[in-house]
Amino acid sequence: MRNFYQKHRSRWELYDQFLLGNPILERGLVLAPIVVTCTTLANALALSAAFAVITIFTILFSYFIPKKLPYTIRVILNAAIAALLFIPTVYLVRGIWPDTVYQLGVYLPLLATNSLIVQKSESRYHQQKLPVMMVQLITAALGFAAVAAVMGTVREVLGKGMLLGRPIEDFSWAVSSLTLPFCGFLLAGFLAAALQKFRFWLGKPVHKIKKEDKTDA
Amino acid sequence: MHSFWQILQNTIAEMASIAVVAVFVQNIILTRAMGTSAALFIIRKKNNLWLFGGILTGIITLSSILVYGVDKMMKSWSARYEWTPFFYVLAVGIVYILVLLLCSRLPFRYREQIIPMIHLSAFNGAVFGALLLSQSYDFWGRIAFGLGTGCGFVLASYLVALGYERLNSDKIPAAFRGFPITLIYIGMLSLAFYGLVGHELSI
Repeated sequence: MRNFYQKHRSRWELYDQFLLGNPILERGLVLAPIVVTCTTLANALALSAAFAVITIFTILFSYFIPKKLPYTIRVILNAAIAALLFIPTVYLVRGIWPDTVYQLGVYLPLLATNSLIVQKSESRYHQQKLPVMMVQLITAALGFAAVAAVMGTVREVLGKGMLLGRPIEDFSWAVSSLTLPFCGFLLAGFLAAALQKFRFWLGKPVHKIKKEDKTDA
Repeated sequence: MHSFWQILQNTIAEMASIAVVAVFVQNIILTRAMGTSAALFIIRKKNNLWLFGGILTGIITLSSILVYGVDKMMKSWSARYEWTPFFYVLAVGIVYILVLLLCSRLPFRYREQIIPMIHLSAFNGAVFGALLLSQSYDFWGRIAFGLGTGCGFVLASYLVALGYERLNSDKIPAAFRGFPITLIYIGMLSLAFYGLVGHELSI
């Protein structure tokens, strides 16, 4: 894997927003809903679906907004498109996970002004060609979903002693504090550190590592 | 006359208590985690923190006034929840343009500093979060909540900025250095605020 990364580093970094360019763990974007509402796996799945629909389609549609328009107007249009896409998204989420819309509260409408749409669409995504942008958006949505799922599962299992709303048998030591926002920050911090460690490992020259392995042996 | 002063006194007292709630109990970053990415960006330029905080507070407060009218208009709508973000975007958009027009009349050296801050703060999680969280308040309550949210944002960002340089030192393990340890530090500040307002952790 390290060999592959080092051979195709520039391409990997261009397309990958799932792992190394993860919007949450690498850049700290769209952190609020993850920290506060990802306390169950169902919340995490609903949030990820809403994020994917709103973000991917908004940035795709706003790609065609003429660059001749002033920046301020373009930003307002981006947010307005996201807010309009929020309407069908709510019905979609309500249809699949009926209880989660209430549990996500103000964090669901907040997705309409997430940093990827308002700031990064202009400075990052719209600078790319359409196919590259689409790959980046899909990997970013998958990266968001992966982090949300990990946070949701860990906090639901260890914080509530449940998984997908069903109690886990013989699990009596749930720590409910894990569902509080401060634990969300701590958990996100540890995940970000794990990612950073992985990035360092990927970047280490392969021949150097082989030498170290021989010395250890 | 007496009753006027009484009403004024009561309104100010109520506004002060709502603002205090917004600063400490519902701190936009440490309790709600909203606007964290903006805070993480702005703490790298410590001098801009106060300016950014001032602009953010102004935008939230002005938007609160417009949004109060929007909410009154949508009061009887059955699809109010679904349409709220769209009308809030329009309201914040109007404030965004007005503030930019106002600032374009300032001398160049001020304009150069202020305008990027307006772009950064207008469509921000903290602005939208404050507007959504203050829906249950009356007109003056929303203004107080807006002011409190802005002050809470500056307070939390300042606390994060105080530790930021140390969190990038060589003494921190490389894997944690920078962003990961900053998140853990914010988590600890969040826990401190949680305790400060009198919550007890259930074990």
